[in-house]
Amino acid sequence: MNLKQEIKEYIIEASLSDFDKIKDETLIFDNGLLDSMGLLFLIEFLNEKYKIEVNDQELNPKNFESVNNIAEFVEGKL
Amino acid sequence: MNNNERKKFSRDILKIEDIEFVSNKIVEKLKNDVKSQLNRRGAIVGISGGIDSSVVLALSVKAFGSKRVLGIMLPEQDSSDDSEMLAKKLADKFNVNTLVENITSALDGFGCYERRDEAISNVITDFDPVADKAKIEIKQNINENIPAIFSITIIKPDGKVVSKLLPAKEYLKIVASTNFKQRSRACMLYYHAECLHYAVIGTPNKHEVEQGFFVKHGDGAADVMPIAGLYKTQVYQLAKYLGVPQEIIDRTPTTDTYTAEQTQEDFFYQMPFEEMDLIWYGWENGYSEEEVAPVMGKTVTEIKNIYKNFERKRKTTDYLRMRPIF
Repeated sequence: MNLKQEIKEYIIEASLSDFDKIKDETLIFDNGLLDSMGLLFLIEFLNEKYKIEVNDQELNPKNFESVNNIAEFVEGKL
Repeated sequence: MNNNERKKFSRDILKIEDIEFVSNKIVEKLKNDVKSQLNRRGAIVGISGGIDSSVVLALSVKAFGSKRVLGIMLPEQDSSDDSEMLAKKLADKFNVNTLVENITSALDGFGCYERRDEAISNVITDFDPVADKAKIEIKQNINENIPAIFSITIIKPDGKVVSKLLPAKEYLKIVASTNFKQRSRACMLYYHAECLHYAVIGTPNKHEVEQGFFVKHGDGAADVMPIAGLYKTQVYQLAKYLGVPQEIIDRTPTTDTYTAEQTQEDFFYQMPFEEMDLIWYGWENGYSEEEVAPVMGKTVTEIKNIYKNFERKRKTTDYLRMRPIF
């Protein structure tokens, strides 16, 4: 399974959403898929799964607003 | 204090025109709520030397007279020394009897400090609970469209600052541990209220209630909340009118919960009260981003993101305002 797919599956599971409602470019915060605790648990997932750490400065929409952005951010850290 | 007539959005939109009328209206309602609804004969107010509890104490004195109001100070080992001194000054000004109930040993019994420090040490391994000061804060810019996440900040005795984003498990444990403070205070306030057949008068303002900046069954536990409809700048306006000591009015609002100094802006709100009050008013009264942005000196995108932040805060904290479901 590729990175985007894994991240998307995590978000679907965490947000109890239907698979077809989340696309790679869906804005996950604007669409209410993840709130602040949801984002915190996503960071925990990324840390456990890919062993990456996120710092204060990296916490911005460019890195986290969609599956595409998260995957790009994670790839840049691997 | 929303006006049903839609006024043009301006920086003066929240200013209370007739402060005496508003004060009297709150006092009359408070008196009626406590006497007729709650059937209690006086008021217990937890006083911290902060602006909200000071205004609530002053309103309670107007409603019940100073002999029927008891101010209770509830310090613990992390409280600022100023808090008790200012609370005492307030009580003297309004001729109210006070009690000091130090809750440190109760918190020790709960393991409040130990559990909190253990969680902090998991994130910052060289954290020294005795020498270092600690606080949690939101460091993100409210103008950016992303949910708020907390960081832990440690200040070493030599002034060195170490800050890290809090992982979920540690964040939850730190919050759950420190919430013992507000919940222990609520227990003590109700003890005294029951001994005297008084009501507990809550101190949260409109932002605390609506953005969820309170602890469920902690400072959110009260019989009546007389200033829950007031914006923070309106609380200040009322404080001046009621004669709250100037030192309290001039003091920067803090949480007085963590060992390091922490303003409410750093901890939760992410913007000054003067701005937040107006933008929140704009948001909840349906003013468009285009109407609000020029008045606040911000871009339309910034106001859009702040509106989204408010919406998220209210939605994620719905749980705190809910009654038990049955």
